Amino acid sequence: MARAKDQKDRRPNGPAIDPTEFLEQLKEGHQVLQWEPLPPPPPNRTIGVEQDRNRASLEYLHHHWQLPHTYAPEDTGGGAKGKAVGLFGRLTFRVLGRYLREERDLLSHMVQVNEALERRCDQLTLLIQQLHTEVLNRQVAEARNQAVLAVWLHSRLPADAAGAPGTTSTPDGPADGAVSPGDAARTR
Amino acid sequence: MSPDRPATGRTEPAARTDRRTGGGDHPWRSTRLWPDGRGLPTVALLAPTWGPASEEGWMTRQVAGALATVADVHVVTPQGLGADDRIDSVFAVHELGTPLTRTAELRRDLLIEAVTASGATGGGRVPAAVGPLLDRGVVDPWAGASDVLDRLRPDLVVVAGHQHVGAIDAVDRADPDVPVALLALGTDLDSLDFPHFDRVFDRAGSVLAVTETERSAVAAAHPRPERAHRIGAPMAANDSALSEPNPWVGSTDYAIILTDAHSEAEEEVVELARLIRLSFPEQPIGISYRDVFVVWHEGRWSAGWPVERSSDLGRLMAWSRMTVDLRPGPLFARRCVDSLLFGTPIIVPAGSRAQEHAQRGRGGLWYSSPGELMWCIEALFDPDTRGALGNQGRAYAEEEYGSTDRFIERVVGAVGLAGAPAGDRAAG
Repeated sequence: MARAKDQKDRRPNGPAIDPTEFLEQLKEGHQVLQWEPLPPPPPNRTIGVEQDRNRASLEYLHHHWQLPHTYAPEDTGGGAKGKAVGLFGRLTFRVLGRYLREERDLLSHMVQVNEALERRCDQLTLLIQQLHTEVLNRQVAEARNQAVLAVWLHSRLPADAAGAPGTTSTPDGPADGAVSPGDAARTR
Repeated sequence: MSPDRPATGRTEPAARTDRRTGGGDHPWRSTRLWPDGRGLPTVALLAPTWGPASEEGWMTRQVAGALATVADVHVVTPQGLGADDRIDSVFAVHELGTPLTRTAELRRDLLIEAVTASGATGGGRVPAAVGPLLDRGVVDPWAGASDVLDRLRPDLVVVAGHQHVGAIDAVDRADPDVPVALLALGTDLDSLDFPHFDRVFDRAGSVLAVTETERSAVAAAHPRPERAHRIGAPMAANDSALSEPNPWVGSTDYAIILTDAHSEAEEEVVELARLIRLSFPEQPIGISYRDVFVVWHEGRWSAGWPVERSSDLGRLMAWSRMTVDLRPGPLFARRCVDSLLFGTPIIVPAGSRAQEHAQRGRGGLWYSSPGELMWCIEALFDPDTRGALGNQGRAYAEEEYGSTDRFIERVVGAVGLAGAPAGDRAAG
């Protein structure tokens, strides 16, 4: 631990650096502004697919929530077997009819709740999309603001005031295709 | 002149020879002796203040400490509430109780700035009306120093600060032949060649400068350039700072920014610190203001107690990737030397005294615009670049500032006391 910093930073065999030359190279490398605001990211479209899948499931619920709540004698058929089944059916629905009606009402309400939730989700999705758009707009504004800062920084360089070598800007823009500070400010 | 007499180039009065026999004619006389039985030389150090609050004060004390290894050092200072003699470590301090007011010093500095800017010093003279204004309030406080010097009868007088014409006047009133050495303390290069202070330099047999920049300025502005000696400073990296990182920033991969300003102040250094943190959100950055220490990382601003102890600052710099000193010390940028002794490269303003460490010591980079500052920081986040500059800077700092013994030799040699018997090492 005592010399952990040394192990990280000390490079005894590395080439020596002359700060004066290094600074000259650094300044030369930055004479032309290679900078532009970050482009906003592409909008996320996966939300729409999820929406379609949820809608199909909700449609199924709408069509299948009604369960049988009464006994239909014609379903039992004829004969002794039919009479026995009919008797059992009437007995069953007489005993369980109230429970089955309650369950039907429950399913009905659940479907309605799901329908409401789906509408609410749609609203929230819309809000998120609006927010996303606002964030993008803000990002663009921030990028423009940074471009203003970059121009200010660039204008503070004493080398620029004297017409620095390496800057090849023309009245119509940089001759070498590089981005000039003014162009950077207008990029977004 | 005796063979062991300091080579200050002046004839030694007979009375002074008698004083060095250790006669004990006043209570401050030392009992240390030369090998041949004579008493140690007496050195009077005239300093406007006595305390390590500033780089100038710290440096004055270090020089006094170096001289104390071969001489009895008496500090004569106008400070204090009343005339008083006291002992401070190995030094006898004689306070005159007539302190220089900050207003008077500020007026003098402003006048120097104004006259220099107007170009009125082109002929090597300042306008006649300016002289009394320059001296107002900064000469009279030294009046009482003559009496103390009369009492001490020093073998050598060291004046700390080249602007103190009053101190030289006091020396000449007490003994016009006593050798004088000048600790220039040239924080302002314009002031070093200001004609009004020429007689201070003319009177000095040797001029002590801390940095090469200061020495060159003195040598260029005044005759007999061989009188100007670079003495450096006695500093050493605190090894304990390298044993454990300071956890204030929470990582060892950070940059430390020193502003020497309040965080809410409307000053350029505060704006630069803000620009740095906004420009490098992905890098942990510790910013030291006078009132708060701020850690900035990933857009989060965490404020803590300000850095008050030098040991805390040392640990922060020791583990930092770079030290960006936006307002380095005016005399020799002590914090930057500390950083280099830890092997941490520096980034400093162009034209500051710290540029010498970065350029001549090859221990860092310097900037003259906010854009260059950002480029320098970006460059030093590269491990190869900062590693090379850190190694070079450490070698320079250890050679120039890292040895107390060498510092003592340089000081003692510069003032001509080499050969005197070394007593206990008594650096202040």
